[in-house]
Amino acid sequence: MAITLKKRSILPGFGLTLGFTLSYLALIVLIPLSATFLKASTVTWTRFWQTISDPRAVASYRISFGASLIAALINLVFGLLVAWVLVRYTFPGKRLVDSLVDLPFALPTAVAGIALTTIYSSHGWVGRYLEPLGIKAAYSPLGIVIALTFIGLPFVVRTVQPVLEDLDKDVEEAASSLGANRLQIFTRVILPAILPAALTGFTMAFARAVGEYGSVVFISGNMPMRTEITPLLIITKLDQYDYAGATAIAVVMLVASFTLLLAINLLQKWSSRGQRGESREEAVIAGNPLEPSFVQ
Amino acid sequence: MSIEALGVTKKFGQFTALDNVDLEIPSGELVALLGPSGSGKTTLLRIIAGLEFADSGTIRFDGRDISDRTVRERQVGFVFQHYALFRHMTVFENIAFGLRVRPREHRPSREKIRAKVQELLKLIQLENLAQRYPSQLSGGQRQRVALARALAVEPSVLLLDEPFGALDAKVRQELRRWLRQLHDEIHITSLFVTHDQEEALELANRVVVMDHGRIEQVGAPDEVYNHPATPFVYNFLGNVNLFHGRVDGGKTYIHERETGHLVYVRPHLLDIARLPNGGDHFRARIKHINAAGPLVKVEAVTDWGALVHVEMPQDRFSTLHLLKDESVFVIPRDLKVFKVHEAER
Repeated sequence: MAITLKKRSILPGFGLTLGFTLSYLALIVLIPLSATFLKASTVTWTRFWQTISDPRAVASYRISFGASLIAALINLVFGLLVAWVLVRYTFPGKRLVDSLVDLPFALPTAVAGIALTTIYSSHGWVGRYLEPLGIKAAYSPLGIVIALTFIGLPFVVRTVQPVLEDLDKDVEEAASSLGANRLQIFTRVILPAILPAALTGFTMAFARAVGEYGSVVFISGNMPMRTEITPLLIITKLDQYDYAGATAIAVVMLVASFTLLLAINLLQKWSSRGQRGESREEAVIAGNPLEPSFVQ
Repeated sequence: MSIEALGVTKKFGQFTALDNVDLEIPSGELVALLGPSGSGKTTLLRIIAGLEFADSGTIRFDGRDISDRTVRERQVGFVFQHYALFRHMTVFENIAFGLRVRPREHRPSREKIRAKVQELLKLIQLENLAQRYPSQLSGGQRQRVALARALAVEPSVLLLDEPFGALDAKVRQELRRWLRQLHDEIHITSLFVTHDQEEALELANRVVVMDHGRIEQVGAPDEVYNHPATPFVYNFLGNVNLFHGRVDGGKTYIHERETGHLVYVRPHLLDIARLPNGGDHFRARIKHINAAGPLVKVEAVTDWGALVHVEMPQDRFSTLHLLKDESVFVIPRDLKVFKVHEAER
């Protein structure tokens, strides 16, 4: 076996780097995750089922995954738009806008949560205009979507941007010379080219949103059954020294996230057919963190 | 379809890419736009295609003014230097693209598209690779797919922007011959841009030599090669020796200190002899001999220190028995004299 694995290559250190990669991943990702499963398995099956199928827990899954999905979809659409504007047009202050995109990464999530709550509460700058319209932004599921959209903004922009920059203008010119109109050029030429990268960004934004805690707890109001996200439920259980219960719910989240991410990755692979080995999004896919950090 | 450009001018900021260019291309010709980079040849091609718009001037297809039409409406086939294939589509889908994006009422049926693509695949000899993606093809194959894709919409003219520029020498040769054949078969008016004089002279039946946004000369390949209209054309088409000189009483005198005239001689139009033959000649010392290839290339230095390149057939070289550092007489068989102000325009 060892002989077949050993291929002659001009790149040295394959064994060493692969060994390091595997031990590193095991240390950072696999061991903590398996600890979660081990801890969860200390309770009986009935107890486990009871914990994870508790109406309050189920409501929290719905709000967590639902709001994350909506936020990631919003980020997909508007991230594409922002990336498009940043790549295709030149305007004064472009660099400033470009660096603004990264701000949600740099800002502590709690700060973001407090800021958003202040703005969207019924007396805030934006909230006061939404209130008369009957829209309650803070302390509602909408508030959660807003917070998750905020923290997930950079992903789609940053994954799509390099691919869009890489997209040769002559491909569009070719399509145009062949008689395609603008809509056809966008849907048949540009979109398929950036779709794998956009899906990567979507996945990352979604994964990040599912695991987000800091910003959401401020704006959501944390009402059980209504605006309580799963990570918060886990914290609550930890506060009550119910470690097994906390990990049981964590396991559900983990499995659900993993399944969803796997599905999106397969979709992505399908959408990037024919582009393998040529385009830069491959590198991005390889760097895609498959695991969300679910408790901060 | 004939193409006409009338008084076409295009500026990019301060840079004048095209300066009042007039060009007429009769229907069915295969024409080369030849020039160094920055000569405006690609800009002219893109303006004819409708990918770029002239600041002033008119483009006509078959006498109809189409200056304001977009590339979509002009129905031209355009082939790009770097192929510009759609990466996410197979070869088949790439070629079918132009037919599939047609408005429903003009769109051919599924079977018709299939038949058309098969026909084109046969033409480019890639029938077996229909389901491959562009990334799985070689450069030459990609460019043939790009050509088939352009031909699928049955364009009235075919425009090619440095079509062989990104390919290696051997593939370039092959593809050149193949394009020549293709043109003989389908007689579509074709215009291609190149900076390779050999390519232009070999492939085209008419060559347009451009420099600094202007057309220097238009003519058949042998015409522009043997009777260059300007020093630039002489210089650009093939190797050349350049001397300073003076014309006096019908005789040309060559010397470094002379001004007023520039004398151009192609290396193969120079001969070497041990004795002066009574005609035109000057002395030189042989510095280097390269005997590899069909022509022997000799480098010599004149009395006044100028470098002279001479090319002679192998048999001539073997009868002469030239040696390095030997003093010889160089005899120009033909030369072309331009006045300096004319040359430095």
